[in-house]
Amino acid sequence: MDTLTGVDRPAEPDGFRDFVASRSPALLRSGWLLTGDWASAEDLVQTALAAAWTRWANLQRQDAPELYVRKIMINTFLRWRQRRWNGEIATGRLPELAAYGDVFAQVDARQALLAALDRLPARQRAVVVLRYFADQTETQTAAAMGCSVGAVKSHAAKALARLRDAPGLAELMTGGVAS
Amino acid sequence: MNTEERQLTETLHRITPEPPRHVTVEDVALRLANQAGPGRQPRYRRRPYREPRLRRPSSRGWGRAWAPALAAASVFVVAGATAGIAVLASSHHGPASAGSAARDTTSGAPASSSPATTPTPASPAGTLTAIPGGPWGARLVDHLALMQYSLTGNGDSLYAFTAQDLVRIDPATGAIARSAPVSSAVPNAPVVLGSAVWVVSSYAGGRVILDGYDAQTLDHVLSATVPAAGQVSDAAQGVLAGGPDGYLYVAAGDSVAVVNPANGALVRRIQQPSGPASSVAVSPDGRRLYVSTFFQAGQKFQLLTYDLTEGIQVGSSSVSVGAGGNLVATSGGVWGTLGSGTSEWVWFAPGGDLSPASPVIRGAGGGFASLPALAGGAVWIGGTHTLACADAGTGSVLASGAIPADHGTAEYFGSVAYAGGHAYAYYIDNQSQTQGVAALTPPAACIK
Repeated sequence: MDTLTGVDRPAEPDGFRDFVASRSPALLRSGWLLTGDWASAEDLVQTALAAAWTRWANLQRQDAPELYVRKIMINTFLRWRQRRWNGEIATGRLPELAAYGDVFAQVDARQALLAALDRLPARQRAVVVLRYFADQTETQTAAAMGCSVGAVKSHAAKALARLRDAPGLAELMTGGVAS
Repeated sequence: MNTEERQLTETLHRITPEPPRHVTVEDVALRLANQAGPGRQPRYRRRPYREPRLRRPSSRGWGRAWAPALAAASVFVVAGATAGIAVLASSHHGPASAGSAARDTTSGAPASSSPATTPTPASPAGTLTAIPGGPWGARLVDHLALMQYSLTGNGDSLYAFTAQDLVRIDPATGAIARSAPVSSAVPNAPVVLGSAVWVVSSYAGGRVILDGYDAQTLDHVLSATVPAAGQVSDAAQGVLAGGPDGYLYVAAGDSVAVVNPANGALVRRIQQPSGPASSVAVSPDGRRLYVSTFFQAGQKFQLLTYDLTEGIQVGSSSVSVGAGGNLVATSGGVWGTLGSGTSEWVWFAPGGDLSPASPVIRGAGGGFASLPALAGGAVWIGGTHTLACADAGTGSVLASGAIPADHGTAEYFGSVAYAGGHAYAYYIDNQSQTQGVAALTPPAACIK
């Protein structure tokens, strides 16, 4: 019994802890690219991992835990975009910075990247993250998104076309700021 | 992949930052616990768009007759807002304006030169809008967009943060009476101490900056820079508290700094042996100081108890869970939150000991936060599941009300505050895109 939550914790599946430890940073970064903030990214990853926990044995047998987790993340993200009020409030005040100089450039680069991704519809954004950040093949991307490979190609082409016009992104792609 | 795709791949990998903390198995177990049982999260369902339910009382023909004009006006407002966003986004390298003058938003005086927000019109007194299915007769007082964690009350006023300002709200009308252009650097409600409202306006690196504002006028009265011992915590949640001795207690790295709000001087520093403090609270009798620390590496949340009269540590306990904090001290012990991301439980640790700690209620999910608040002699906890009041001494729930879901989308009641003898909570309904301060009529059991 977990004292604080007051519930019986389900038995931890074999290998689950190693998977979480090794893959959560990459999954979180994907979540950040999808949602644009760390809290939502954590929410997304935790939701997906909780779903994977309950069917871990099957996923391991199929050697596809990460594909499944990414699939849940994408589906949850798309559902959030459908149902959630994206009531962001614009602010002229940025989060505190720990230092100056290059940090400004990093923040600018991240803002430019997120602003560019914000121009994309949800499914195009998901394709960009899966294909070009998570290094998934078109087939894997299609499997994660529950669509055809042709649809993935179409989304990717449209996304690239939109990103071409995104202010600041071209400079990032050809020049670069250290992360 | 062609060249363009390879460049995009390289850019995404290079620019995307490393996460500030990692998800752990304990986080996932907590999420599973949240999802278990009859009170699981409402399912999100597809449904056609419908009009928001909450409307001001009006004649039937009013909305139809004005619909075209309102539609045109909304386009204009959105365009203007977008332009404003662009201006604000391009000026983020400018200096912070914590010391700028307060704005009187009721007199009609022109706003100061800072990027002012137009006050949201409030419902006039007597025309509160009932929230369908809301707990404890909840009625919407205004439509202000506030930070979830920030509503707090003192005397006849409510205080909160909007996206850019500290505001004083008149609960009788729901209108913003005064505002000051400052926001909190960490999740921390404004702290009202004496005749001033205190804000953590900077929290980074090796120092903390506190800014004080007159509780009535919100004119800036004092700024105090507190050097931290080492680096401040990167998991800070509720780092500033007011003590009954009239001093401010702020988590400042590996120490808790005690600051005199009259002159901003550092009165005392209580050293932390176990890393940067992430949250602080002082008991109502001023005898106990509770401090939490959180270590990302071991996912270890630690609660330390100090005897302020003796100046010694008298207790220490820890649990291996996701991040926690937001401490609130009461006569019987200390309250706080645990769980990372946006799913939290609220717990009560009698006497400051986590070993016998127990959950009080499940807090919130889906992007919302649930924080305990001491007001009117009871502890109030909201979220997306239950709105509850609990005994400050024992931690037992005195009364609770279910928070409804709007067609499958979670609604939120949280950040309960007391002002003018009445209870208020901050309300959000994402489905109908409604938010604002809600007046509550809590059960008699909650009133101490």
